[in-house]
Amino acid sequence: MTHAIAADEVVTFADGLPGFESYRRFVLVASPVLSPFTLVQGLDEGAPSFVAIDPQLVDRDYVTSLETADLARLQADAGRPLLWLALITPRGNGEATVNLRAPLVINPGTMRGIQFIPPDSPYRIDHPLATA
Amino acid sequence: MLVFTRKIDDAIIIGDGIEIKVLRVGRDSVRIGVTAPAHVSVHRREIYDQIRRANTSAVADSDALDDIVARLRRPMPVRT
Repeated sequence: MTHAIAADEVVTFADGLPGFESYRRFVLVASPVLSPFTLVQGLDEGAPSFVAIDPQLVDRDYVTSLETADLARLQADAGRPLLWLALITPRGNGEATVNLRAPLVINPGTMRGIQFIPPDSPYRIDHPLATA
Repeated sequence: MLVFTRKIDDAIIIGDGIEIKVLRVGRDSVRIGVTAPAHVSVHRREIYDQIRRANTSAVADSDALDDIVARLRRPMPVRT
């Protein structure tokens, strides 16, 4: 997948992601071929890439509200839409699970991202993808 | 590791603006209040570790990506 990346396409995760704290720069690759999945691709040498999906496509009623500190880290304005992506883990035999417990949240306005880790959540870290 | 003895309502200050306060002491648990600036994230250790393990297992290496996408595209998540 070669494609020149413009600076305004880069999402900055200022804290990285748990387990990958030193990788801050990612691009989101969405295309009809990938749909409904989005590729979250690390830009730096050795950075990880992930396959992700809108959590509302997995659970139509998915609702999680961000806390003030998270909104501050995203530099988010109230009312402006945010992009939510849940990371997918392949489990073999065509099975996969989705992490609805700690989704990525991206502010398209500032291109800032966080992995949102609420203290408590009704959602599973390994929600089955195909059988929901 | 720095070790302190604290009483209920005593606190510890870390750096600029992080305060950890002992709120209640039980038989085998302690209730702690953390005040930190907005840009500092605070998590329970075991939750953070759980997310870290999940992220590690979610990494898609570039060779596997096409395969994952191809396999995932067929069984669509529940949708009405």
